[in-house]
Amino acid sequence: MTIQTLDRAPITRPKSATPWRRNSATKRISIVLAGTLPLVITIFTAQYFLLPGATALLTVFIPLQLVASALAAIKVGGRRGIPDAILTVVVLSLVSLVVIVLGSVLFNLARKGSHAISRQFLFYNSTYVTSSTSLDYGGVAHAVIGTFLIVGLAAVVTIPLGIGTGVFLTETRSRMRGPVRFISQAMSGLPSIVSGLFIFSFFAVAGFSVRGGWLGSLALLLLMLPTIARLSEEVLKLVPQDLRAAAMALGAPRNRAFFQVIFPAARSGMITAVLLGLARIVGETAPLLMTTVPTNGTNYNPFSGQISTLPTFIYKWIGAGSDFSVQRAWGAALVLMILVGTIFVLARIFGKQKF
Amino acid sequence: MGSDVTKLERVDLFAAKPGRGDRIFFGFAGLAAYFSFSIVFLVFIFLSWRSASTFQEQGLAFITGSTWSAESGTFQILPMIVGSLVLVFLALIVAVPSSIAMAYFIEFMAPKRVARLTTNIIDLLAAMPSIVIALWGAFIFTPVAAEWGKLLNHYFGSVPIFQNDVDNYYRSPFIGGWILAIMMIPIITSVSREVMSRVDKELINSAYALGATRFSAMRRVVIPTARGGILGGILLGVGRGLGETIAILYTINLIFHVNIFRILENRGGAVAPMIASFYGEADEKSISALLAAGVVLFGATLLVNMIATYIVMRSEKKMAS
Amino acid sequence: MTLDNSLAPEAGNTVAQFQSDGDAHLETRNLHVWFGERHVINDVSLVFPENSVTALIGPSGCGKSTFIRTLNRMHELIPYAGLAGEVLFKGQNIYSSGVDPVDVRLSIGMVFQKPNPFPTMTIRGNVLSGLRLSGTRSRNEDRLVEESLQRASLWNEVKDRLQSPAGSLSGGQQQRLCIARSLALSPDVLLMDEPCSALDPGSTIRIEETIRQISKNMTIVIVTHNMQQAQRVSDQTAFFLAEDNNPGYVVEFGSTPQIFTTPQDRRTEDYVSGRFG
Repeated sequence: MTIQTLDRAPITRPKSATPWRRNSATKRISIVLAGTLPLVITIFTAQYFLLPGATALLTVFIPLQLVASALAAIKVGGRRGIPDAILTVVVLSLVSLVVIVLGSVLFNLARKGSHAISRQFLFYNSTYVTSSTSLDYGGVAHAVIGTFLIVGLAAVVTIPLGIGTGVFLTETRSRMRGPVRFISQAMSGLPSIVSGLFIFSFFAVAGFSVRGGWLGSLALLLLMLPTIARLSEEVLKLVPQDLRAAAMALGAPRNRAFFQVIFPAARSGMITAVLLGLARIVGETAPLLMTTVPTNGTNYNPFSGQISTLPTFIYKWIGAGSDFSVQRAWGAALVLMILVGTIFVLARIFGKQKF
Repeated sequence: MGSDVTKLERVDLFAAKPGRGDRIFFGFAGLAAYFSFSIVFLVFIFLSWRSASTFQEQGLAFITGSTWSAESGTFQILPMIVGSLVLVFLALIVAVPSSIAMAYFIEFMAPKRVARLTTNIIDLLAAMPSIVIALWGAFIFTPVAAEWGKLLNHYFGSVPIFQNDVDNYYRSPFIGGWILAIMMIPIITSVSREVMSRVDKELINSAYALGATRFSAMRRVVIPTARGGILGGILLGVGRGLGETIAILYTINLIFHVNIFRILENRGGAVAPMIASFYGEADEKSISALLAAGVVLFGATLLVNMIATYIVMRSEKKMAS
Repeated sequence: MTLDNSLAPEAGNTVAQFQSDGDAHLETRNLHVWFGERHVINDVSLVFPENSVTALIGPSGCGKSTFIRTLNRMHELIPYAGLAGEVLFKGQNIYSSGVDPVDVRLSIGMVFQKPNPFPTMTIRGNVLSGLRLSGTRSRNEDRLVEESLQRASLWNEVKDRLQSPAGSLSGGQQQRLCIARSLALSPDVLLMDEPCSALDPGSTIRIEETIRQISKNMTIVIVTHNMQQAQRVSDQTAFFLAEDNNPGYVVEFGSTPQIFTTPQDRRTEDYVSGRFG
């Protein structure tokens, strides 16, 4: 197809402007067959042999799809196309696997959790609730409050420390920056249970063990700190050097330059960093198991007494074993997931804003 | 006009000393940094000190023996160590291809919107609390995986690893391995993706100009160039897997008998879930033993994470040059 | 095949049109290129005579690099790429259905602006990388390596260290290595997109010598910003131009001496005498 022009004005692009995608009839048939036949055959085979869905997928569909794609690839592009076709099938299968898993988790969470969710579930605590109590009574309010208190306390201490570390790594010229960065990064691999063990044993004296919400906060602090430090360093690095130079050229001392110029510029990134750090620890169970004692009632004081959080609530009710208690656990898990999801979405929103 | 200009007070240039504001500011930053730095050592040293008695009493048998008994005062965690390693190994078999495939998909195959969506999916998976995965794993996934185990045993039972003399397919390393893979995939994927995106686009174009197909370009250019970073990502995943406590708690069975090959049977274990499980009813000596186990766990994950961080940092430097 | 200068456009508005005898080695006919909806190359018909060097000159941004990538089907790798018209190689349209782009790229090779040998491969590995990547076999790899490096004027400098990593070479040597690895596939045409602009003058001269050497039995199309280079190295020159936001097109195409000493078009004359660019 030729377009003859003698002037220099732009021409709108015709529909057929991708000649490399043109395929003959046989090629198109091969592609369509390769896309649909394996699926159809799998469905029939699964019905006939009464195979459960997931098994059928793995054992029948994948090999069939691989063979079909390879054959179609030969038709379309010659022997050279086979590795590409196989690569495409393998990659897409694995990606689908991961997506299906996530989908299954979210779907089941919604399905099973919604049984337990009700106004009363969200606003009442679990005083007098046992494993045989029906779902008309009791709720997770105390656990939600506990989560907010303990996570909030952790955040209040961690945020300055984390941002301070970030400042140290970007605004100073100290020789310790390399080691601090390296160790901080390696620390992000601290197993959550070791954090719990540490805090617990640090405060346990001669047979008396101390428990309390604030200890849980300390354990969470150790897990949150590396994330905040690393992310705030990254965010601060993104602030253009010119901004700092301009502030200093105007005679501002370094700390003023930071609080009035650099930090505001990095603010949305900082908020994202904090939110991501929070998302990480909101769902942590193991450290809280070692440092707090779950309870059924509401405790507004993180510094003394037993206190429940969403993760320990779930843990406890799974352990109770009855149908009702497991349903409570699902309900609480749904609430927890909604909380994490909200933080996640907020982090995305703030992340998109440019300074 | 000159006399209307406001005269500002002059400051003596040579009296400059960092103002108090700056001293406080940088002082605090320094403190925060040193806190981040030293906390690692603090944790390790403190836990070691607190569990020293266990190490003294048990000796090397702590990590080479297989008995755990509070009554006789013997605490040995070899089966748990082996169990952790087996689980991580099984998880890697699933997680590594999946992660590299996802990273490749996002970077080189998917159109922009799909790529962004997939990245969000991975990030969401990373943010999933492990207790939620544990719940899903225990009640939704276990029946399915147990079926798979039965099928494997049915058709391939002659192969040693698929044998099952106990006829109980629940809470096996096989199932735990899958769950652990789910926890490891997000971090391996995001590091691999990061590294793949730094491969010079012109390098890939050169490969195509030399007649490469997508597969050969990936195999001979992308993967080798990104190799270091991918390896670092895998190690970070391993670190995560070794430390995972809650997600696998309901899918493994803590048995103090070393089980390497019988992955379909319901015995195995792992160090982190063991600590969490035994903690509730532990007496003083047991607590010390649990702390000792924690030291071993922390040491291992720290080592793995440091190597991983080193590899990733070095590969980033190489690619920037 | 004749270059009919009587058809060169008068100073003004028409786009260069060419007749070929039909045996031209490589030619484009009414080629249009789009990126998404944006029209970037407008109706280019050029003929590249066999075993000669054709230079593409013009100010930056007028589409020379885009154009050259249509010649070996690299353009279609860019998302939302569009193309109309024909690119004929040995008389056959390389965009007809049924043509494997890999085959096209094996016959029409390309060297890029920044030297980019594969960092994880040795020098020898780089030379043979084309074979590995395309699945081509060679009967005698050692001989092929030596021949390719000889033709790229690199053999003497690296013959004792074929197993060293490619990164240990200087910029000019790396670019010659990239030329060698393209040559190893024995292409009929070699496309070069500003191959010397990232190099020092000494390396540039060596590569220009190499180009003159290999053009004895290979067709070469070279994009260059450097007009002196075009004069030194090429037999024909095409002058590309894009005005305002309009797509690029060929203003004038002729033998190199003619373009630079007696350009027919006013714009060509302005460009080659440095009045803009």
